Amino acid sequence: MDVVLEGLALLIDPFNIFLILCGVLIGVLVGALPGLSSPIAVALLLPFTISLEPVPAIAMMAALYCAGTFGGSITAILINAPGAPPAVATAFDGYPMAKRGEAGRALGLAAVSSVSGGIISLVIFLLATPFLAQVALKFRPQEYFALAVFALSMLASISGKSSIRNLIAGAVGVLIGTVGIHLTTGVERFTFGNAEFSDGIHFVPVLIGLFAMSELLNQSQTLTVVYERITSVVVKLPSREDFKKIKWTILRSSGIGTFIGILPAEGSTIAAIIGYNEAKRWAKNKEDFGKGDPVGIAGPEAANNAATGGAMVPTLALGIPGSATTALILTALILHGFRPGPYLLRETPEFIYAIFGAMLIANFMFLAIGLAGAKFFARVTMIPRTLLWPAVFVFSLVGAYSYSSSIFDVWVMVIAGVVGFVMRRHGFGAAPLVMGLILGALVEESLSQSMILFDNNWFRFFESPIVVFFFILTLLGLFWPLLSLWVRKLFRREAPTTP
Amino acid sequence: MQGPDSGSTVSDDKSEGRSKFSLIHGTDLWLTLIILAVCGGLYYVTTGFDEVSQLLAQNLPPEWFPRLLIWTIVVLTLLLPIEHLFHARGKKHLDEDRRHRIKPMAMVTAGLLTLVVASMQWLGTFLAMIFLCVALPILWGERRLKVVLPFAIIFPTVVALLFTQVLKVYFEPGIFGLGLR
Repeated sequence: MDVVLEGLALLIDPFNIFLILCGVLIGVLVGALPGLSSPIAVALLLPFTISLEPVPAIAMMAALYCAGTFGGSITAILINAPGAPPAVATAFDGYPMAKRGEAGRALGLAAVSSVSGGIISLVIFLLATPFLAQVALKFRPQEYFALAVFALSMLASISGKSSIRNLIAGAVGVLIGTVGIHLTTGVERFTFGNAEFSDGIHFVPVLIGLFAMSELLNQSQTLTVVYERITSVVVKLPSREDFKKIKWTILRSSGIGTFIGILPAEGSTIAAIIGYNEAKRWAKNKEDFGKGDPVGIAGPEAANNAATGGAMVPTLALGIPGSATTALILTALILHGFRPGPYLLRETPEFIYAIFGAMLIANFMFLAIGLAGAKFFARVTMIPRTLLWPAVFVFSLVGAYSYSSSIFDVWVMVIAGVVGFVMRRHGFGAAPLVMGLILGALVEESLSQSMILFDNNWFRFFESPIVVFFFILTLLGLFWPLLSLWVRKLFRREAPTTP
Repeated sequence: MQGPDSGSTVSDDKSEGRSKFSLIHGTDLWLTLIILAVCGGLYYVTTGFDEVSQLLAQNLPPEWFPRLLIWTIVVLTLLLPIEHLFHARGKKHLDEDRRHRIKPMAMVTAGLLTLVVASMQWLGTFLAMIFLCVALPILWGERRLKVVLPFAIIFPTVVALLFTQVLKVYFEPGIFGLGLR
C-alpha cells in the first residue's frame, strides 16, 4: 500500500498534473481529427518527452493514449468519420443517434462508457501487473524467447488486411532491428560502410515516418473529401433509463476489452469490434442495432478504452507491447533508461503505480473535458487539412531531427514514411513492423543466450513447460486464421440440418 | 506504381468468369518478386559479414539470425500471390486500398517533402520549416494567402522556440545563420 501511495505522490505535482492535462487535451484533439491517431501523436511526442523526467513523460503519454481512444468517438458520432480506428464501431449506432437529433445523448453515453471501461481495466491492471511480474521473475532467456515469439505470432491476428502480411511486416521489423553492430561478436551488419548505421536504426525517426508521414501522404489523396457535420450539440449525461440499459454491456465489454488488451499485439480496434458484436449478441432487440441503440455505443466504447489499461499490463510487466501505442510507450521507457519487465516492478514499483494514477486521472479529465468541450472538439475537424498536415510534418521533421540533431535521422523518417505509405497500400500494417522492431532485440538476445545455455541443442527448449505452453499458443496464433476459417465453413455446412 | 489489375497474369477483374478461378494474384505476384529480389540482395550482403571464431560467436555467428529472418520472409512472401484464395472476400478484400492508382498529388507531395529535407542543411531547419509551411498548403490548393502566410511564420517560430529554447535542441543555422539561439 505504501508503494501505491508513493507512486501516486510522484504525480502530485502541479507540473505533472499540467502535463497530464496537456496529454488529455492533445489526445482528445488528435483522436477527434480523422487521420490523426494516438500512435501518431505519441510518436511525435516522443522526442519532446525525452528531455522530461521519466514520470511526467510516461504519464503524459499514457494520458494521451487513454484520451485519444475516447476522442475518436466524438467525430465518429458527429460526422460519421471515426477520428481513430478504435471508434469505428461507435459510428455504427452513434451517428444514427446523432442524426435523429440526439448527438448530445450519444456523446454522453460514449464518454461515460469510455470512462467506466477505462477505470475497470485500470483496476485489473493494478491487480494483474504485480501477479504477472511475479510469474515473469521466474523467466529465463528461453522463456523470454518463447514469449517474444508468441508476441510476434500474435501479429497474425492483429487487425489489418492479412495475417501473412502482418507477419512479413513483423519479420521486416525484427530484421531492421539487426542493423548495426552485433552485440555478441562486434561484427557490423547491414551498415554498408556507413558509420551512421553502426548504432543501428533509431526507433524514433522510423516510428514518426511510419505513422505520421505515411498518413500525410495518404491524406494528400483525400483532399476533396467533405464531411457532413452535426453542429448543434448539447452533451447530456446518460439518463437512469440509459444506465439500466447499458450497465451490463459496460461490464461485459470492459472485461472483453481488458482481456484483448492484455494479449500481446492486440489493440483497442479489435476490442471495440468484439465489444460491439458481443453487445449485439446479448441484446434483446437486435434489430435496433445500427439505428442508434445506446447499447451499440456503450459496447465498443467501454471495450476500446478498457483495452488501453489492459495493453499496459504486458507492456510494463513483461516488456511486450500490447498495442502500437504501448509499443511507443515501451520505446519511451527504454529511452529513459528503464528496463520494462519484471525488474521494473521489483526495482521501481512506485513508477508503475504513478502510471496507473496518471491513467486514472486522465480518465476523469477526459470525462470532464469530453462532456464540456464536445462542441469545441467537433469543430476541430473544421481545421483545414491544408494547414493541419503541414503542421504535422513540421513536428515530424523537428521530432526526427531533435532525437540526435542529425539530418540522417530525418532521411530515415522520410524513407520510413514513403515505405510505410506503399506498405499500407498493399495491406502491410505499420503496427506489426513497429512491434517487430521493438521485439527484435529481445528475440535475438534471448535466443543467443538460450543457445549458449543449451550448447546449441534446440530440443532443450522443450524442457521448460512455460516454453512449451508459449510454443503451443504460438502455433495456435499462427494458424488461428486458417483454423477459424475451417471451423466457420464446418458450421456453415452443418447449418441447414439444424432445425 | 501499378494498380491491382494492371499487372495481373491469370487473374483479372474485368472478366468475372476468369477471376473466379484465378490462382495467382497479378499485383501480389509483382510484389512477391520485388520482396524476393530485396531478400536475395540482403542475403548476399550477409555473406559479406566479417567472419568470427566459433569461440567468439558461441555457436551463433552474426549472419545466422538475419538469415533466419530472411528465410522466414521468403517463405511467407511465397504465399502472397495465392493469399486471396484464403480470404472469404477474396481479391476484393486485399485490393480495397489499392483499387485506385496512387494519385499524382501523393507523389508530388513526397517529392516536395524530400526537397524540404534535402534543403534543410543548406537552408537551415527554421527556414526549411517556413518553406514547407508555405509550399505544402499552396500545393494542396490553399489559396488564402492571408491564412497561409501568418501560419507559415507563426507556427514554425513557435515550434523553433519550443525546441531551441525549452528543449535545447540545436537547429541547423543554414546559409542565413538562423539558429534561433
